[in-house]
Amino acid sequence: MKLVIKFFPYKYRDYARIAAEAAVEAWRQGKFKEMHNLLIKKSPRLDRESLIQYARDLNLDVEKFTKAIDNFEGADIIERDLKLAKDLDLYVTPAFYINGLKVLGVRDYDYFKAIIMEELKNVKKK
Amino acid sequence: MLRKNNIWIFFVILFTGCLLLNIDSFALDKKKKELAPLPPPPIPKDNPMTPEKIELGKKLFFDRRLSGDGTTSCASCHDPEKAFTDGAEISLSYPTTRNFRNAPTLINTAYAKTQFWDGRAKTLEEQAEFPVMSPFEMNQNLDFVEEEIRIVPEYREAFKKIFGQEVNIKLIAKAIAAFERTLISKNAPIDRYLKGDKNALSEEAKKGLEIFKGKGKCIECHYGPYLSDQKFHALMVPENPKYANEDKFIVTRRYIAKINKFPDYMNVKDDLGRYFKTKKKQDYKAFKTPTLREVAKTAPYMHNGIFKTLDEVIDFFNKGGGQGNKALKPLNLSLDEKKALKTFLVEALSGEDLKIKPPEIP
Repeated sequence: MKLVIKFFPYKYRDYARIAAEAAVEAWRQGKFKEMHNLLIKKSPRLDRESLIQYARDLNLDVEKFTKAIDNFEGADIIERDLKLAKDLDLYVTPAFYINGLKVLGVRDYDYFKAIIMEELKNVKKK
Repeated sequence: MLRKNNIWIFFVILFTGCLLLNIDSFALDKKKKELAPLPPPPIPKDNPMTPEKIELGKKLFFDRRLSGDGTTSCASCHDPEKAFTDGAEISLSYPTTRNFRNAPTLINTAYAKTQFWDGRAKTLEEQAEFPVMSPFEMNQNLDFVEEEIRIVPEYREAFKKIFGQEVNIKLIAKAIAAFERTLISKNAPIDRYLKGDKNALSEEAKKGLEIFKGKGKCIECHYGPYLSDQKFHALMVPENPKYANEDKFIVTRRYIAKINKFPDYMNVKDDLGRYFKTKKKQDYKAFKTPTLREVAKTAPYMHNGIFKTLDEVIDFFNKGGGQGNKALKPLNLSLDEKKALKTFLVEALSGEDLKIKPPEIP
């Protein structure tokens, strides 16, 4: 199974964009998954100071991290993903594609489990 | 003596009258509780259907301008790909909020005498405004959305041509309602069967139909062309445990109680259904009888999506409904009977898939 995460910062939230920058920099320092989980856990405390603290908690290079989020060094990746969302006519976040099946909005564990189990069955048949 | 006789005659007439009335209403009730094929939908005199109006309504239905942040259209929660539901237990919500009820299908909603699970809107025109302005659905301001639509030349021209008027929220609602009245089940096996095609249902579905009308007692509330008595019943469906104690869910429930001027809104623990609106004892935790047409495509079920499958729904009714309800009694259906009933629901009540292509939005 393969999981691909794309950035889609919600345009009407103050810290969505800077949080995406934080995730990109964490990815560059090899700790995307850890930062991703932390951001979800700590949301909505995603202001600049909090993000720097999370970088510290994850033992990232804080100086490099701070410089990256202040200078929007992840913009190319984030803009690329935003364009992809636009091309796919996606406006709702979160949005998911599971083997091409579009799922929009917050869904619970059981909802995903049913789809994924069905997809796995199809893989086995093939 | 004469006076005494007069009194007797009066009582005899009164009694006979009451008896006749009772027989009449009983007969009427009996007559009502039949299944019937779908007739053409009722169209309100003040909102006649025209192809141009339907097309305009379709565009507005898919237009994200109707939401405050421009991310949500009516089609987000009434997705044509999901039988005009969103397939979620609790309907999708405005970002950072939580809805508190399941999104009902719009297929055949033209036949509904009230809209929403609690029946708070009497017409589709009235209904259309609610989600647009609801803070946990589309969170848009009605005066503002008028201007957002009016600024689009194509919309402005269309409104002038169709209604002879400038854009306003009432006309936006009328156009959307006109589109929604086109979402009708077509060629469902039950309709063919009721019109005389005895091969339209399999033997198992026919057995299920007999259970539907007989031992299963489904027809007590699900009758007529729309398969609903259009009334409200307190079946004491359990609260959905996934959401019942979630802060965002509680916020929404309190908000609903608050705007309905519920005195102790901060301590409301359950979804009180129609009672929020009417404050009548009989409406306590009562919800509208939904249509059963297209039921196979509209899971999950009940006002809070607590049942994922029709099997779970049938089991709920078979055991006599939720704790403390006075509307239902155990049915004692066997496994075979439950299976046949499900076959009927799935096979007989599913019409042809409605193919609605999202339009170009101006």
